[in-house]
Amino acid sequence: MGVFLECGPFSARDGEGRLLFEDTSVLLADGQCVALEGPSGSGKSTLLRCITGLAWSLEAGRELDGAAYSGAQMPSWRAQVTLVAQDAPMLAGTVRDNLAFPFAQRAGCRQEFDESTSGDLLQAVDLGRLPLDREVRTLSGGERHRLALVRGLLWDPPVLVADEPLSGLDPEVAEKSFELLLRYARRPGRLLLCALHDPEFNVRADSRLRLSDGSLREIR
Amino acid sequence: MSGLIELGPLQLAIATLLIVAAGVVSIALRLGIERRLAIAALRTTIQLGLLGLILERVFALDNPWLVIGLLLLMTIFAAREAVSRATRRYRGILADAWLTMAASCFLVGGIVTQVVIGVNPWYDPQYVIPILGMILGNSLTGISLCLDRFMDYLETRSAEVELRIAFGATRREALAAPLRDGVRTGMIPIINSMAAAGIVSLPGMMTGQILAGSPPMQAVAYQIVVMFMIAAAVALGAMLVVILAGRRFMGPDATLRLDRMTSRSDHYH
Repeated sequence: MGVFLECGPFSARDGEGRLLFEDTSVLLADGQCVALEGPSGSGKSTLLRCITGLAWSLEAGRELDGAAYSGAQMPSWRAQVTLVAQDAPMLAGTVRDNLAFPFAQRAGCRQEFDESTSGDLLQAVDLGRLPLDREVRTLSGGERHRLALVRGLLWDPPVLVADEPLSGLDPEVAEKSFELLLRYARRPGRLLLCALHDPEFNVRADSRLRLSDGSLREIR
Repeated sequence: MSGLIELGPLQLAIATLLIVAAGVVSIALRLGIERRLAIAALRTTIQLGLLGLILERVFALDNPWLVIGLLLLMTIFAAREAVSRATRRYRGILADAWLTMAASCFLVGGIVTQVVIGVNPWYDPQYVIPILGMILGNSLTGISLCLDRFMDYLETRSAEVELRIAFGATRREALAAPLRDGVRTGMIPIINSMAAAGIVSLPGMMTGQILAGSPPMQAVAYQIVVMFMIAAAVALGAMLVVILAGRRFMGPDATLRLDRMTSRSDHYH
């Protein structure tokens, strides 16, 4: 398999100035689920924010499927290498607002918000009963996490980068959600990179990366 | 039509008793504000006295360059005041505030003095200086409120802003919500004072004109012009200042740079 996603080098320090990682690059093939592991505080979230272009890094290069992105093309990069962030952030508004807003932005205007697909996805993570006009501030933490995950899958970008998408879910729902993620990832032209809390899920990933002591290594 | 009753040193001395009375209240109730009260009263006297002297000279000299120079100086002071009221800062905030003040106030003030009132000569300080002064004084409140709210949104709701960015928002799309929120907040004071004008409050300028002997309907006409021009200047200025500020926090790559924001209380911890 050829390289699908290539970006870096990234370097970052934490709030206290301690080096998290240095000159770290990421090269990944498509059609797989890649787990990012590492002790807490090792900089997994920061690395995922670097890859998706949310954290600012001057010297990093970015290529997706052979096309390079920089500067003003960054919105387009993020629309294709999309982060599902750690604490399931939500816009103030309804469930529908939160699922549909990407399709109203310029980067997403070629697609349209598909209510039936979103219904199927919500069903698949046990949120089928959730009305689309429900205010998101009334959702529980677990419901928000699942909604954030559904939003990412509905967007269906070439690369989905998920930071602890299964945290706070009970085992049964976490299992269903993970299967959904695997189904998304194991297609040509798709790639899933995710940080998972649970070692049991990590061993089921197609490949595993470990970030510790400032460097990123592949686990075989 | 009644003329103006002149105030001399004796009248001012009697008025001073009033501020002394306020100080006595502070001492009697142990409010502990008598020092600040005295300094504020002194500042009012000195600042207004200086302004009076400057205005008398400017009126007497009747020189357009002098008027323009004074107006520029006023915009600088207004920008400094607007920035000092904001609880957050960034590099270049003063330049942005000044540019905004100068642009919105000269545009709106120019239209009012030249087209609406038709001042002759165009720089007549008796009209131009008070009118610009009122625009500056009011739009500085609007602009600082707007800027403050905009930065507050970016910081406290950064997760929402970054959520939009994560799904490919351009700079314009990512900043649309904080921008709207900021401009709306900046507009509230002038909307409130327009709504309350004449019922709850007698606007200061109108009161002044009536005291100076203007017919009430004339004073009303001026006040309406002034209210509308302030509303226009605030709307324009607020919009401009958040666009400029937005560019500092986000480049064309739409990465949110909150590291460029500093809090005024930063030196406390």
